[in-house]
Amino acid sequence: MAELVLALALGTLFAIGTFLVLRRDIVRVVWGVAIISQAANLFLVTMGFGLTGDPAADAPVLTAGEGAMYADPLVQALVLTAIVIGFGTTAFALVLSYRVYEENGTIDLVDLASSPFEGPAARAGEARADGGEPTADDGRSEVADRPAADDAADGGDH
Amino acid sequence: MSEDREPTVIVKTVTRTVVPLIALTAIALLIKGHNLPGGGFIAGVLTTTAFALLYVIYGLDTVRRDLVTNAGGVGLLSGPTQSYTRAFAGGLALAFGSGVAAMLFDVPFLTQAVVFVDGIPLYGELEFASALAFDLGVYFVVVGSLLTIIAVVGKE
Amino acid sequence: MTSTVVIAPLLVALGTAILALLTRRVPRLQRALSVAGAGAYVVGVAVLVRAVRLDPDGRLVYRVSNWDGPFGIVLIADPLSTLMLALAAVVSLVAAVYSVRFVGREGQRLSYHALYHLMVVGVTGALLTGDVFNLFVWFEVMLMSSYVLVAFASDSDATRAALQYAVLNLLGSAVMLLAIGGLYATTGTLNMADMARRLADPTAFGIDPAPVLGLSALLLVVFLLKAGVMPFQFWVPDAYRAAPAPVTAVLAGVVKKVGVYAVVRLYFTVFAAAPLTVSLPGISGGPELGFLAFFGPVLFLMATASAILGGLGAIDQPDMEGLLAYSSIAQIGFIMLPLAVAATAAAPAVRTVGIAAALVYSVNHGLAKSLLFLAVGAAEDAIGSTRLSDLGGLTEVAPVLSGAFLIGALSLVGIPPLTGFFAKLLVFDTAVRAGAPLALAVALAGAILTIAYVTRAWNNAFWGSPGSRVHAAATAARTGRDDGPAVADGGHADAADDAHGTAGDDLATVASIADPVLVGCTLSLAVLLVALGIGFDPLYAAATDAAAAALDTEAYVRAVDPAIAGDAIADGGGTGGDQDVAEQLRALRGDGR
Repeated sequence: MAELVLALALGTLFAIGTFLVLRRDIVRVVWGVAIISQAANLFLVTMGFGLTGDPAADAPVLTAGEGAMYADPLVQALVLTAIVIGFGTTAFALVLSYRVYEENGTIDLVDLASSPFEGPAARAGEARADGGEPTADDGRSEVADRPAADDAADGGDH
Repeated sequence: MSEDREPTVIVKTVTRTVVPLIALTAIALLIKGHNLPGGGFIAGVLTTTAFALLYVIYGLDTVRRDLVTNAGGVGLLSGPTQSYTRAFAGGLALAFGSGVAAMLFDVPFLTQAVVFVDGIPLYGELEFASALAFDLGVYFVVVGSLLTIIAVVGKE
Repeated sequence: MTSTVVIAPLLVALGTAILALLTRRVPRLQRALSVAGAGAYVVGVAVLVRAVRLDPDGRLVYRVSNWDGPFGIVLIADPLSTLMLALAAVVSLVAAVYSVRFVGREGQRLSYHALYHLMVVGVTGALLTGDVFNLFVWFEVMLMSSYVLVAFASDSDATRAALQYAVLNLLGSAVMLLAIGGLYATTGTLNMADMARRLADPTAFGIDPAPVLGLSALLLVVFLLKAGVMPFQFWVPDAYRAAPAPVTAVLAGVVKKVGVYAVVRLYFTVFAAAPLTVSLPGISGGPELGFLAFFGPVLFLMATASAILGGLGAIDQPDMEGLLAYSSIAQIGFIMLPLAVAATAAAPAVRTVGIAAALVYSVNHGLAKSLLFLAVGAAEDAIGSTRLSDLGGLTEVAPVLSGAFLIGALSLVGIPPLTGFFAKLLVFDTAVRAGAPLALAVALAGAILTIAYVTRAWNNAFWGSPGSRVHAAATAARTGRDDGPAVADGGHADAADDAHGTAGDDLATVASIADPVLVGCTLSLAVLLVALGIGFDPLYAAATDAAAAALDTEAYVRAVDPAIAGDAIADGGGTGGDQDVAEQLRALRGDGR
C-alpha cells in the first residue's frame, strides 16, 4: 500500500512539474522546476525505505512495527541537503525571473525567444551612447540581486 | 510598503507576541541541532520568517530604522543589505574557521568534538559540541542571504 | 593514511572566496587577495600533483571530519583528478588575473571575486570527491556561482541566458538526485569505491545490478548537460555570449571538463565493474553487450552529432563569441569520441589510449578555448564588439593579441608543434587501433570543419583592412583618449608590442589597442600551449597514468579499502547496510552518553 501511495504521489508531482515547466510563463516554469526538485526529494526519502514489509528494514513511519528502531538516517541527511540547495536555487531562479521581467519587459518565453540576441556590440553601443567616458564600463555595473547565489556556499557547507 | 492599508491593531499585537516566540524557537533549534532535529539552516529560516513578518506588518522602513544599524554604503549595498551581506560573509568565515580549527588539532577538516559538563545546578548535564560553531556559521549565512533577498526584492 | 595535501586546494579556494567576500569594502585588497588566492591554489594543486606522483599507490585519500569509509565523505586524489585539477588551476589563475582588469570596477566591488572562487571551489570538490552525493553538492556549488556569473552583466541578454542556463541545470540537478537516490536504493551505498566493489560482486552483497543501467543513463544525461554535448547543448551559445570573457573561459575550459571527468570516473571506474550484460532486441541480435559497450554507441552518436553540427553551427555564426561557443560544442565531440570508442573496445590497451586521448584533448581544449575566449574578450574590451562584420585587421592594431589567438586557433586545428596536434593524433590513433573507420571518418570531418571555422574567424577578424570600429578604436588609442569601454587607463603604448608593429600604415604607429595585461594573460596561455606541445612527453605520461588510474577499479577500491574492508557490511544484504548504519549510530550514542 505504501508503495502505491508513494508511487502515485511521485507520479503526480512529476506530472504537475512537467506540465508547469512546459508553460510559456517564466514564473510557472520556475514553479515547475521547484516542484520537480521536491518530487526528487520525495523519491530520495522513498529510496531509504526498505518497502519490504519487514519491520526491521522499513521505516517506522511506514510500519510502526515493534522492531523498527530507526529509519535510514542517511537519506534524510541527503534530503536535508537537497532541500537546502533546492531552496537556494529556487530563490535565485525567482529573483532571476524578476530581473528578466525588468530587463525584457515580459515573462512570456515565446516573446523572450523572439527578441534577438543583442550581443556585445549593441551593449557597448549603448554604453558609448550615454557616456563615452573612459570609465563607462559597458553595462556591467548595474548588477543586482545576487544574494541568492550566495546560498551556494551554504549548500556546500552542509 | 504602501501605507494606504494600515495593518489592524490585532495583527500588530499578535506579531509583537509571536516574533519573540519564533526567535526563541529558532535559538532552541540552533542549540540542539548538532544531534537532534534542528540546526543552523532551519534556525536561520525561522529567524528570517520572524523578520519577514515584521517587514510585512510594520513595513520595510520601520524595521530598517529600528532593528538594523544603517551603515553607510553605495547603491545596492547601502543600509541593511550591507549588514546582511556582512552577516553572510561572517557566517561563512565562521563555518569555514570551525572546520579549519579542527586541523590545528591534527585531525581532518571539519572533525567535531563534544564536551559534557556534569553537575550543573537545576540543569544537570550540559553538552558543548564544537558543531555548534559550524551551525552558528550556517545560521548567519542563511539569515544574511535570505534577508538580503527580502530586502532587495522588497525594495523594488 | 590521511593526508592534508588532498584537501589543500579546496580549502585555499574556499578561503579565498570568503576573504574576497569579507574585503569587499577594500577593492584593492580584494583584487590582490583574489589573485594571490588563485596563485596559492596553483601552488596547492602543484603540491598535490607531486604528492600523488610520489605516492606508491598513486592515490591519496582524505577522510573529511574523520569519518571512515563508506559512511563519511572521502576525498580521493589520483592521477585522473590531479590532471584535471592542474588544468583547472592554470586556467583559473590566468582568468583571475584577467578578471581584475576586465571586469568593471562596480562589478568587482560586488561579489565577482567571491563568486569566481566559489566556482573554483565547486570544480575542485567535484574533481576530488569520492562520494556520489557529494559530487552532486559540489556540482551545485559550481553551478550556483556560474548562474550568477552568467547573469553578471545583468542586461536583457544576460538575464535571459542565465534563466535558460539555470532552469536547464536545475532540471538536471533534479534528475541527478533521482539517479543518486536510485543508486543508493540499488547498491546500498553512495561511496564510489564501495559502490564499485559491490557492483563487482553483486551476489555477495545481495544486490541486483540491473537498475544501475537505467540509473547510469539518467546520470549520463546530467553529465553531458554539464559538458554541453549535442542533444543537451542548447544553453551553450547564449550562456557563453552573455558571461564576461574570463568567466566564459573558465566555463568552457574547466566547468565543461568536470562533466567529462564525471563520465570517465563514474562510468569507467565505478559502473564498469558491474557484470551486466544487455542485449538490444532488434539492434544487436548477436552477443550480449557489456555495461560500457552498451553506452559506447550512445556516446558515439552524441559525439558525432556534436562534432559535425557544432562545427557547422560555428561556421555560420555572425560573432566571435558565438563562433567559439559552437566550436566548444564541436570540440566536446572530439573529447567524447575517443571515450565512445574506448567504451566499445574490448582490448584494455585501446581503452587506455582512448581515455588518454580524451584527457589530452580536454587539456588542449581547456587551454586553447580559454585562450581564444580571453583573446576575443580583450578585443571586445578595446573595440566594443565581437561581430565579425565590425572586426577586421586586428593583426595591424593588436599584433601580440593576434599572435596569441593564432596559436590557440592552430592548436584547436591541430598543427604540429602545438598540443592540439598530439591531441588530434591520439584521437585518430584511438580510432585506428580500435579498427573503427566510422569514428575515423567523423574525426576527419570534424577536423575539416574546425579548419573551416577557424579560418573564417581569422580571415574576418584579424586579416584584411580594419573595420570602422577597429579604426575608431585605434585612432582613439593613438590620440591617447581612451574610448575603450572597460579600460580605465589610457597608457596603452606598450614597449613590447611596439616591436611588432609594421611600418607603413598610419595605424601601425599605434602599437596595440588591446590592454597589455589582458594580452599578457592570453599570451601566457599561448606559451603554455607551445611548451606542452614541444615537450609533450610529461603531458602524455600524465594522461596515460590518469587513464590507467581511471580503469583500475581495483586499486581505486583498495585506496579507500582500509575503512571498507574491516567492516561488518560484508555479511549484510542489500538493505542490511542500512541496519549497520543504525547499529553504528546506536553505538555512537552509547559512547557519547
